[in-house]
Amino acid sequence: MFYKRSLPLIICFVMGVLAFCQEFVAHPSADAFREEMTTWFRIMGGFAVFIGAYSLLHMHVTRIRQRQQGWGYSAFVFLGAAATIAAGVVEEILKGMGTFEEGKSFSSFDWLYDYIQVPCGATIFSILAFFMASAAFRTFRARNTGAFLLLAAAIIVMFGNVPISEEVGRWLFPNSSGWQMIFPRANAVLMEYPNLAAKRGILIGISLGGISQSLRILLGIERSYLGGGE
Amino acid sequence: MPPIEQPASTKTRDVEILVVVVCLAAFLLTCLLAQWPEGQSKVSAKGFGIILAAGLTLIMYSFLYRDNPLFKAAENLYVGVTLGYTLITTYRLSLKPDIIDPLFIDPPTLGVFAGELARRFVPIVLGFFLLTRLSRKYAWLSRYSYTFMVGWGAGIGIPIVVHTFILQQIQPAIRPLLDAETFRALTPFSWLTLSSPALWSIIGTLVILVGTVCVLFYFFFSMEHKGAGGAVSRVGIWFLMISFGASFGYTVMARVSLLIGRVQFLMEQWLGIAGR
Amino acid sequence: MKITPEATLRRQEITRRIIYALVALAVITPFIYALPVKFKPMTLSKNLYDKVESLKPGTPVLLALDYEPSSMAELQPMSIAILRHCFRRNLRVIVMTHWNTGVGLCKDVCEKMAAEAGKESGKDFVFLGFKPGYQNLVLNMGENLLGAFDKDFYQKPTEGMPVLEGLRSLKDIPLVINIAAGASIDGLWIPYGRDRFGFDLGAGCTAVMAPDLYPYLQSKQLIGLLGGLRGAADYETLIAKPEAATKGMQAQSLTHVLLIVLLIGANIVYIGRRYYGPKEA
Repeated sequence: MFYKRSLPLIICFVMGVLAFCQEFVAHPSADAFREEMTTWFRIMGGFAVFIGAYSLLHMHVTRIRQRQQGWGYSAFVFLGAAATIAAGVVEEILKGMGTFEEGKSFSSFDWLYDYIQVPCGATIFSILAFFMASAAFRTFRARNTGAFLLLAAAIIVMFGNVPISEEVGRWLFPNSSGWQMIFPRANAVLMEYPNLAAKRGILIGISLGGISQSLRILLGIERSYLGGGE
Repeated sequence: MPPIEQPASTKTRDVEILVVVVCLAAFLLTCLLAQWPEGQSKVSAKGFGIILAAGLTLIMYSFLYRDNPLFKAAENLYVGVTLGYTLITTYRLSLKPDIIDPLFIDPPTLGVFAGELARRFVPIVLGFFLLTRLSRKYAWLSRYSYTFMVGWGAGIGIPIVVHTFILQQIQPAIRPLLDAETFRALTPFSWLTLSSPALWSIIGTLVILVGTVCVLFYFFFSMEHKGAGGAVSRVGIWFLMISFGASFGYTVMARVSLLIGRVQFLMEQWLGIAGR
Repeated sequence: MKITPEATLRRQEITRRIIYALVALAVITPFIYALPVKFKPMTLSKNLYDKVESLKPGTPVLLALDYEPSSMAELQPMSIAILRHCFRRNLRVIVMTHWNTGVGLCKDVCEKMAAEAGKESGKDFVFLGFKPGYQNLVLNMGENLLGAFDKDFYQKPTEGMPVLEGLRSLKDIPLVINIAAGASIDGLWIPYGRDRFGFDLGAGCTAVMAPDLYPYLQSKQLIGLLGGLRGAADYETLIAKPEAATKGMQAQSLTHVLLIVLLIGANIVYIGRRYYGPKEA
């Protein structure tokens, strides 16, 4: 149907062309247009979070309803969400009544954040340190030239970035202040030359791909963002 | 009559329960014995919070032994608290000041309200259209919201990408080689002894330029990498391997830093072993 | 003797647990027995420090703290050190974030550092809080800063705030420092901020991201970079206030040495077996 598929694609093209052209127009109306559009998208962004929230809650409700494996744990999701939302709502009400002052009154909302969200969030990613060490020990082998270069670069970077490398440098070259910093300098040279070159190559390659993808979107060739259905 | 042998699964469960009880007792004992700084009471909101945070941290680390019910419960609790926090913060810092306050709380007159509504009408409607993505019947309405955002992002992105990620990156890769001053600073003596900073600047720029071109060539799959092309591609792979090694080294550093952060919390705030 | 798959699995399991124990020991030991830590700050960290040091008192600086609890171990010490430095220089500090899960961390840092330095919200600094929109928010701030944030985090109107006097947009701010866990630096502040509105951009990032940002340092799109915990420790050393990051470098040193020894040892055994071990028929 025209208004379900064709009209959105036309809007996408028109918006894209307008966005592209306003970059090259120095007139104040272009600035005003950009300010208005960015304000619109800023306001719309506030609604997007509810899609994610609904999807997550729907998934856990389905898990409980169908008694899937581990359905009991989903109750903790609702417990955590309900407690945090209740704390936030109560705080808003108290602020409205004038009995709560941000930064001075005790906040149970902030308490839940500081002592549940922060420790759990920080710890989950720190577990990767152990997995990384174990996986590197078991699988990281210099099987060929490329793997050897990778291993050597990793060791230079890991050693050059820590203070103990300067201690080792001072021990190896007690009389030569220039050579004492050999390990940090090796790290810096590796990062500023071969690493930089490779990253720049990857960056330019990705950018060219990004431009082609943007053009595909504007011309209606790429339509996956429209979602399924007619 | 021989004693009745308990089945293996019941024995394992009994051992597991015993381990949990012993760990819990050890945790509580540690909390009691820990010496906190003066003025920091364990029987307070902050004190109880630190103990809870330490408990959740240790429960998370129990995953290193193996997945267990306590870990799963803590993980789901974290998801729930994060969800609640995100919703409240988005309401408080985005929806309330941008929509609710200007339309319903602040305006003193109907005229002001009408003006504010006119300014915000289209984004509010498009915002509600976004939510229709969750409905099978009306999901097509969300396409209008997405096309506005995606079209704008794609259109504004093209000149920005060309300028920032291509032109601004090619310029420093080539400019030093076109700088006459740099070459004038070179003398035959500095070529022989490798002592001139200008010489090293040129060498460094050449290394970066050669590396960038070789890496870009490696990703060009429209022609077979044979002969001279194969050699260029091989050099590109070497540069890539070095950069992947550097990335691996830094990734190890990052993960270890996160672990250090948690151990710092446990040692300093929970156990009260202030940094010696 | 034939090695069964179960025996192999069991050996791998034991090896794994030994490595976990060694890593844990390497991290915990420096907190009990302190190791001497002396290091020279890296040039990239010094460049950022020198830039902040060169600003005159009263110059506005925008701090975009785009991270959340999962990366706070590396980035929170950076934010603390930079805020401390900015307050010491009596700069006008504007703090905001693009990550709603990091609002609590930003609030904590602002309030603690402001209390330490005796700075007042609205007068010496302002915490604008969070707004969605990402690149659209930066573009919005670049045209109309007070329009993008008409109230601060504490719901006080930004119009008329002494700290924001004379500031209409990002074009009026000479330095922006982005402390980021995700792609905010190269995906947001460089293309949509620095290259459009002309301010100097400094960055602090997790160590994972640091190698990807070197191209921007050479092209001067970034004036300085704090990479991971080492970057935070460098900045603490430069402002002469060593704290969490500097202490953490002791554990970092020991753990890295352990991992290097394990890697080299494993590869020596591998090469030995490959070239000198019994050849398979």
